[in-house]
Amino acid sequence: MKSRSRSATAALTAGVTALMLSSCAGGASDSGKVTLEFQTAQAADSPLLAVLTEITEQFESENPGVDIDLKTGGNDYESQIKVRLAARNPPDIWATHGWSLLRYGQFLAPLQDEPWAEHFNPALAPVMKNDDGEFFALPVDTAVSGLIVNETVLERAGLSADDITDWDSFLAAAEAVAATGAVPLTLAGSKDGSAGNVVDWLAPGAFDEDQLASFEKGEFDADGYEKILAVLETFRSKGWINPDYSSATGDDMARSLAQDRAAFALSSNVLVTQALSYAPGARLAFVPVPAMNGTESYLIGGENTAFGAARDGDHLDEAKEYLAYLAQPENDAALAQATGSIPGLTNVEADLGVLQPSYEKWVEPGTVPLRPFFDRAYLPNGMWNTVVTTADSVIAGQSSPADSTKKVADDFATLYKEAE
Amino acid sequence: MTVRAVEQQTALGSRRTHRRASRFRGASINLLYLPALVLFAVFTVYPLISGVALSFTDWDGYSPQRAWVAAENYVRLLTDDTFRSVLGNTFIYGIGSTAIQQVIGLGLALALDRRLRGRNVARAIIYLPVLVSPIVMGTFYYLLFQYDNGALNDLVVALGGQRQAWLSTAAGGITTIVLVNSVQFVGTSMIIYLAGLQAIAPEYTEAAMLDGANAWQRFWSVTLPLLQPAFATSVILNLIGGLKLFDVIQVLTGGGPGTSTSSVSTLIGTTYFANQAAGYSAAMGVALFAIIAVLTVIANAALNRRRLEQQ
Repeated sequence: MKSRSRSATAALTAGVTALMLSSCAGGASDSGKVTLEFQTAQAADSPLLAVLTEITEQFESENPGVDIDLKTGGNDYESQIKVRLAARNPPDIWATHGWSLLRYGQFLAPLQDEPWAEHFNPALAPVMKNDDGEFFALPVDTAVSGLIVNETVLERAGLSADDITDWDSFLAAAEAVAATGAVPLTLAGSKDGSAGNVVDWLAPGAFDEDQLASFEKGEFDADGYEKILAVLETFRSKGWINPDYSSATGDDMARSLAQDRAAFALSSNVLVTQALSYAPGARLAFVPVPAMNGTESYLIGGENTAFGAARDGDHLDEAKEYLAYLAQPENDAALAQATGSIPGLTNVEADLGVLQPSYEKWVEPGTVPLRPFFDRAYLPNGMWNTVVTTADSVIAGQSSPADSTKKVADDFATLYKEAE
Repeated sequence: MTVRAVEQQTALGSRRTHRRASRFRGASINLLYLPALVLFAVFTVYPLISGVALSFTDWDGYSPQRAWVAAENYVRLLTDDTFRSVLGNTFIYGIGSTAIQQVIGLGLALALDRRLRGRNVARAIIYLPVLVSPIVMGTFYYLLFQYDNGALNDLVVALGGQRQAWLSTAAGGITTIVLVNSVQFVGTSMIIYLAGLQAIAPEYTEAAMLDGANAWQRFWSVTLPLLQPAFATSVILNLIGGLKLFDVIQVLTGGGPGTSTSSVSTLIGTTYFANQAAGYSAAMGVALFAIIAVLTVIANAALNRRRLEQQ
């Protein structure tokens, strides 16, 4: 009896295990088609994904032997990619989100010999090309951002976007906006990372060239960094940041701009596109970011939306063919428009809608300096989370600028040493 | 050879054959366990060993290169202020949730151990949240506590009050997380205590009643001591769950503001993926494993000693 029971238990264990293993088995395509897996890093409701889906469907109808599996990705997109890379099983194509060279370059196929490569925007070369002239992603657009302004909210405060000419006028505008009951600066909590954007946007105006160069040598300028965080503390103490900051998301930021509840945002222009999806008539623009140290105002830019193909992918040829399709002028134009940014290829023109006047005024003349994203250019790889959480602590009143700066300095030292 | 001797030898041979067959059968039955053992080795033992090995490297979590750094990551743990403060949060989550779940779980078990109409429905409703994913539960509570459009703030405003940012401070976030976790898993404690109550022979309480003990004395001197095994099981399960808390924190606060509501588990995640310090993150994981193991052993030993003393 005991033996029978033991046999039954063992058989049951084996059966359950077999069932588990069979459940783990992946399904194989029997259609004979090549399926390219594409990690887009886009949320399911993003304007870019909608355009990308449309273009991909056209590609698939013109190339019946290829299927593109567009994967969405939210805040954990980078974790997903890192896990796939660690497992040596990357998707065929993935969005590099600013890191096509420094982080993902070793895993991506070089693309400088592709037919569209001659149109690569030279403004992106410093961050996307290595010393040998190789680059590893199709630059769909070129990030050029400034201080996003809501002209309706400014008008109610008796101001216009043209009044934001320097740091003092920016602070005066924030005060005037707050007096009307609107929120001067809209931000989203730690889950979104917008607190880190503030650091990225303000840092080029907080340090001079020598100080910035010292970061590259592994010397952290704590005084300058603390000044940036002190700005956040000032904004918090004056009530110039949205009170729902901790629970707000990027979508809430877009809504507050769309509904004329907030005056300013420090973010990429995709936020404007997102806001316009809620209120197409919203009067949004961007102006150069005023420099904290009183020097010239500037724009922030660099690699934004870019897609690379796995160097060792089984279907590299098809992946390159698909990227070439995305690079076609009409397709790249549509994609760039969806992000509210200028195209990443020089043979493409995009109608940037509500932001077109801002581009014509601030970007096309080429007179306003374009500064790189601070964390990508001057901080070691892996610092972003520290930048976000420390700024977040200051905004939430949980940490002083000095304490948060110390944490950033510690992590800077550790990661710089590891990078060495 | 006599007939008897032949019979004896035949019987002996038969027993040997039977034993051999039995041994063979036993071995073949054991073989059926092999796939499960392989799965256990692959998904539990191997990750544990490789996690420990990883904690002695400087791996960034994705690139092919990694270097041996000896105990550097463990030395860093000892001087890391963030880890220290997050460890404090982790103890609050573990001990706070455990305490709340014991009190409420036992209370519910005592209430629902009586013959009441609808008690089975009540038991099912209280246990139901245990079956819900903590991510779903966290999202539900997020919608309740969020500043704009949050149900709680809508209620506050309807009653003439001001909106509150419930999750914007460390104290508010930690309290909310402890409560949400306790409410979700109080059903587990309730079920364990119900099982414990039903295992107590009614003769003990009847004897106490005959001795003139009132309800409180019967509970304190008879029921509670006899619930020691259930208490030990519930405390240890809840403690382990609380110390490993991850999902609810991730959904409700993302560990913020800053890292003020992070637990060691959420810090392990951000250190591994966002800070790209997989080696250091693995060291945190090993430390958490050791802490949970030590606390569990201590709690188990203390509860068992108390039980033995009472016997």
